[in-house]
Amino acid sequence: MIPELESFNLPILSLVTLTPAFGALLLALIDSNSKALIRQVALMVSFLGLLFSLIMVGNFDSSVGVMQLEENHSWIESLGISYHLGVDGFSILLILLTSFTMPFVFMSTWKAVDHRVKEFHIALLLLQTGMIGAFVALDLVLFYLFYEAMLVPMYLIIGIWGGKDRVYAALKFFIYTMVGSLFMFLAILYLYNHAGTFDLPLLLERLKTTHPLDGIQQFWLFLAFALSFAIKVPLFPLHTWLPDAHVQAPTAGSVVLAGVLLKMGTYGLLRFAIPLFPDAAMDLREEFCWLAVTGIIFGACMALVQTDIKKLIAYSSVSHLGFVVLACFMTDVESLTGAILQMVNHGLSTGMLFLMIGIIYERRHTRELADYGGLASVVPVYSVFFIIAVLSSIGLPGLNGFVGEFLILFGVFRADPLWGMLAATGVVLGALYMLKMVKAFLFGPVVHEVNKEVKDLNMREIIYLSPFVVLMVWLGLYPSSFTNLVEPTLSLYVQLLQN
Amino acid sequence: MEPLSLSRAEILAVLPAGFLFITGLIQLLSDLGDTSKNSRHEKTHLAMIGATGALVAFASLFVQGTLASTGELYAGAMTDDLFGRLGAGVIIVTSLFVTLMSGGYLSSSGNNKAEFHSLINFSAGAMVLLCQATNLVSIFVAIETLSLAVYVLAGFYKENKSASEGAFKYFIMGAFSSGFLLFGMALVYGLSGGSLSLSGIAASGASSDALFAVGVLLVLIGFAFKVGVVPFHSWVPDVYQGAPVLAVGWMAVAVKSASFFALCRFLYHSGGGAYLDQILVALSVVTMILGNLAALNQQSLKRMLAYSGIAHSGYLMIPVLVALSGNDLSIGASLPFYLCAYAATTLAAFGVLTALSVSTDRDNIGDLNGLAKSRPMLALGFTIALISLAGIPLTAGFIGKLMIFSDAIGAGFIQIAIIGILTSLVSVYYYLRPVVAMWFRDPRSSFDLIPAPWGVQFTVGVCGIATIFVGLFPDWLVELSRISVETILG
Repeated sequence: MIPELESFNLPILSLVTLTPAFGALLLALIDSNSKALIRQVALMVSFLGLLFSLIMVGNFDSSVGVMQLEENHSWIESLGISYHLGVDGFSILLILLTSFTMPFVFMSTWKAVDHRVKEFHIALLLLQTGMIGAFVALDLVLFYLFYEAMLVPMYLIIGIWGGKDRVYAALKFFIYTMVGSLFMFLAILYLYNHAGTFDLPLLLERLKTTHPLDGIQQFWLFLAFALSFAIKVPLFPLHTWLPDAHVQAPTAGSVVLAGVLLKMGTYGLLRFAIPLFPDAAMDLREEFCWLAVTGIIFGACMALVQTDIKKLIAYSSVSHLGFVVLACFMTDVESLTGAILQMVNHGLSTGMLFLMIGIIYERRHTRELADYGGLASVVPVYSVFFIIAVLSSIGLPGLNGFVGEFLILFGVFRADPLWGMLAATGVVLGALYMLKMVKAFLFGPVVHEVNKEVKDLNMREIIYLSPFVVLMVWLGLYPSSFTNLVEPTLSLYVQLLQN
Repeated sequence: MEPLSLSRAEILAVLPAGFLFITGLIQLLSDLGDTSKNSRHEKTHLAMIGATGALVAFASLFVQGTLASTGELYAGAMTDDLFGRLGAGVIIVTSLFVTLMSGGYLSSSGNNKAEFHSLINFSAGAMVLLCQATNLVSIFVAIETLSLAVYVLAGFYKENKSASEGAFKYFIMGAFSSGFLLFGMALVYGLSGGSLSLSGIAASGASSDALFAVGVLLVLIGFAFKVGVVPFHSWVPDVYQGAPVLAVGWMAVAVKSASFFALCRFLYHSGGGAYLDQILVALSVVTMILGNLAALNQQSLKRMLAYSGIAHSGYLMIPVLVALSGNDLSIGASLPFYLCAYAATTLAAFGVLTALSVSTDRDNIGDLNGLAKSRPMLALGFTIALISLAGIPLTAGFIGKLMIFSDAIGAGFIQIAIIGILTSLVSVYYYLRPVVAMWFRDPRSSFDLIPAPWGVQFTVGVCGIATIFVGLFPDWLVELSRISVETILG
């Protein structure tokens, strides 16, 4: 059974967050030539992280929507910065998604990464700490620290282990993200000088009661936060770093980027930007929704014409996350539930797609659609897994993607039928570009002789892909086991927004 | 004649500087007895003497147990407050690291003479006095003493033409700036009713006088030359490029820290009339923008660091400005903190530059290619230093920027904070270029780096760890800075 934490007083969130960082320290002590040992240790550490986050879920009380398992220690007292962690319905699934993805990412890189193995695993583990830390941090500076701490490892992962234009892509990724986050940093400092605290719950309280912001202040502060998150999502027209970063990043980098990192943007909107500055958010709602809808359609159209599979998936991410942003600006529980589910769904389906593209790239060293065709007859097991991932991404009923998209569209239609209709075209286009890609990739005759030699999935690959499929089916057939964790928090949040 | 009598506090106050001067002398004398006369020897004994002297001087900072100001000593020429001692601490620690690095560095080019070591200690002693100086004359004498030593250090490679050129330029510009300083001091002295001591100037209430403001401005310009604030920065890149790396590191860290400590003390006492705020705003903004933009396109690491040093001088003007405008000195605490963080970070960076110039005598960014493969620890240390200079979290530089910008916003200087943020963004680009070279590129040629001297490895390691440590646990240093600033006015 899951141990009750009350009796142990275990700082479970710290454990979930910092275990990977300690693992990275441990790796630093291992000789860089013993690659097998490094891989095993990193894998164990990430499984330990998964274990801790399962314990966290076990101790999470899904009947209430408030912050739970909080840890609050003063850290830099003289500057008013505290080490304040907590988890609620917004973050719990994302934490789970992160710690779930990482072990399988590690498994996927056993063959793919063969130089500077030690540094690679250290970077990935530090990245994991950064991501989970950003999801659990409740102090603005602490959040900013983790948010930025993700940047350097990801930069190195793209820049060292990436493709041909890796240096350019890495730099573009870094600068783009930095632009946004520096303005957010400025806004955080402004808030501190205004209300005298970096602590999020306290800040929300004070902004509402003792230290209200006037309209102009709200406007600029919201823009500063939203800019940072919009770049991260990425929201059209700030998305241009994403295709480059995805195409150049190694498989593991793409999986983490698509699976988790992009969610930092939408999570930030829901956790910080909108609740802190609700008036400004509602004033700018239309503008953001239009951008999101544009992104949905634009991303889908761009995906239609891509010949590089990775780029195609990258643009599909722009489209899918447009749905999430759209839902973030709704004020009903359904669309918000859909937003959070869709973040998880996108993490699962796109993460798995990138893993599978990585697998075929290891065998054929090309990502051009034209170099493939007819693989279904050569690698049947691979094809089955691939098609499941594609169908999940399209939103086939019975798989996870359907639930999230349905909830979002349901809510959006109620808010404004025009947005709903435009967003729904994104779903249609999504089916179009995905199925077109599957047709060119897997079906038809085998045009190239080399493709007849391609090996099917081996045991290791099946092992790390299967959990994704299980979760997709689970989420598709029985979503309430996940939405139950989320809904109490969301109804509380909606109440707050409507006041 | 009165018999010379010194109080206990007066003796304690000069101990740190005294130890440094004596150390310099011992180093000179010990070389006289050295029969080998070979400038290619590492002469470890010089480093040992220097290290011992620096440690003793550092320990003597703690002898005077109280944190409160001791008031004026030596008839108002100096004081022994925490602010001064914090500055002295930064300088002494810097001199310790420079001393440890110099043997290995100088011997590799056959220039290892005792003069270099003792000049470091002589200038360090003068800088410590500068941090403690509380009247116009002692400030001027300390500045001149340290400058003379540093002029020689800058031109230490006598055979090297560009070094001589740089040193000469530095000397001319330095003499020029001393003129400004002295003229300004004369005006301040005259208009404050003939008071030399800073507290007397503060008490005279002359700060509303327009001519007094001109005097303060001239003193400010004198210091602006020393720390490289635009538009008085033109000597910096040339001198940095020509001078021995370690002398540059010494200038970048110690000269800048000492000058800022003294400038801070001077301005807090003098005030500056209505226009000083605007002038400081203008200087700071121009310096941040120009320093960072000019650094963007540098191929030479030394020049890049020279411009980045200029940019940091711009950031350092912000706390001075904020403290002066709000009449609330406690928010000027970000200045000492930033200087400490900057010292640790910059020392690590110059340590790596030293290692590089020991083995290649070049300093292009391209020469760093593949350093992460051949010297992973040096590359890591340099990376930490660069991301700290760029102000990325988990480093001391981040906390420094956080304090500075937060204070600026708190005092209502939002535009300056925005400009500061924008220019930091620009700086990220050029700080990343060496990172790209070290980690992402393959070594260009097959040259094998000779192992870095032990002193360099030690410095890069310790300063790199200190940068991260202060980034994670800055509380004690923030408090120390805050208390120290409050001791300035006694």
